[in-house]
Amino acid sequence: MQCAEALKVQAYFDGEADAMTAVALEAHLEHCAECAALLEELHALRTALRREIAYPQAPAALESRIAAALDREQKSRRDVPGALPLRGRLRSFWTGALSGIGATAAAAGLAFFMLAPPHADLPEQLASAHIRSLMPDHLIDVASSDKHTVKPWFAGHADVSPSVADFESRGFRLVGGRADYFDQQRAAVVVYQHGSHIINVFSWAAADRGLPGSTTRNGYHMEFWRTGNLAHCAVSDAGWNEVSALVKLLQTLEHGDSRE
Amino acid sequence: MDDRRARFDAQILPHLDAAHRLAHWLSRSSPDADDIVQDAVLRAFRGFDGLRGSDAKAWLLTIVRNCCLSTLSQRQRRSFVPLPEEHDVQDGHAMIADTPDPESESIRRDQRQVLERLLAALPEEHREVLVLREIEDLDYRQIAAVTCVPIGTVMSRLARARAALKTSWQRQVEGESRAMR
Repeated sequence: MQCAEALKVQAYFDGEADAMTAVALEAHLEHCAECAALLEELHALRTALRREIAYPQAPAALESRIAAALDREQKSRRDVPGALPLRGRLRSFWTGALSGIGATAAAAGLAFFMLAPPHADLPEQLASAHIRSLMPDHLIDVASSDKHTVKPWFAGHADVSPSVADFESRGFRLVGGRADYFDQQRAAVVVYQHGSHIINVFSWAAADRGLPGSTTRNGYHMEFWRTGNLAHCAVSDAGWNEVSALVKLLQTLEHGDSRE
Repeated sequence: MDDRRARFDAQILPHLDAAHRLAHWLSRSSPDADDIVQDAVLRAFRGFDGLRGSDAKAWLLTIVRNCCLSTLSQRQRRSFVPLPEEHDVQDGHAMIADTPDPESESIRRDQRQVLERLLAALPEEHREVLVLREIEDLDYRQIAAVTCVPIGTVMSRLARARAALKTSWQRQVEGESRAMR
């Protein structure tokens, strides 16, 4: 059986561990022979791959073929602005391309790269913040399943005070809270766990700017909603149904809060 | 040459070698690799206005990957079989789909050929994550973007891919030392 730290050893080797984790891991490596051996194996494998695997360059003929194709494409763009001759072919290609390979994920990835949605910046910031939170030791600043511990913690650490509750009986366990610097303010993040999935719920003051609709970035689902002048977004790699279920629970809770 | 084209050439074309390598590895050095790259670059050119400061290399490789998958799936529907994500790594050789048995093949001394063959024999998911990490030197975030999976999946997939390659490599070495005796 592998040491529980094996994935951290790999992250450390790949230069993806933060400083704190790296220090802790270096201490761990001193006395865990298994992890020390793993680190050596990772080195050996990389050295072999980088030494032995050919790094072929794109053939010169291909480069000039591509340059010529780009020239043609550029010319046709100029000649027929807004009506690309290849457009029809392009669409049927994508339909074919997407059918084979997990259409949702591929579409999300493409939408991310190829379209410039009106709120391009916001989901991107949220996806980055979510991904950052999944790095070792970044997830939680205050670890507690007690809403009476988590909520007051935000008072001193974030600019807003979100609703906090433990929905363990409904499958969403409160695991803690965190402050993230986001949209030029200290956003409050409440962290829930559903099965093996982490769901980060971001809350920040957003005046009356519009929010994007539900979206998927890099495979993470995001659902946005608003209460008063607070904007919220739940981000997770859990399924849409799970994310929506948590959002509904939170919305019900917030209604209750405002009536109190 | 207009300004858009000049920006495209400056930002995207430096990654042509990387695009070509990825197409080469994903298509198992099929003769289609060149066509795939050309197709991908043209698509990148059409969608270039949407790039906006994102990572140009990861973006181009995402398009190359999609073009590869669609070409391969048109050719042979079998090409992309998702592997179970939650599996344990102990039995690395179960992961090596349709590998020619290293021992039954005539044993090649050339380590380069051996490694290339072992890498080519890995399933797509493992091969692509290894190529993106070890050969193209992308970080986890970039790999997650290119392969459209969460970072956690990148980490576990990479661990399994490395374990699988290590296992097949060890078996190869053991096979050779038996043959020497």
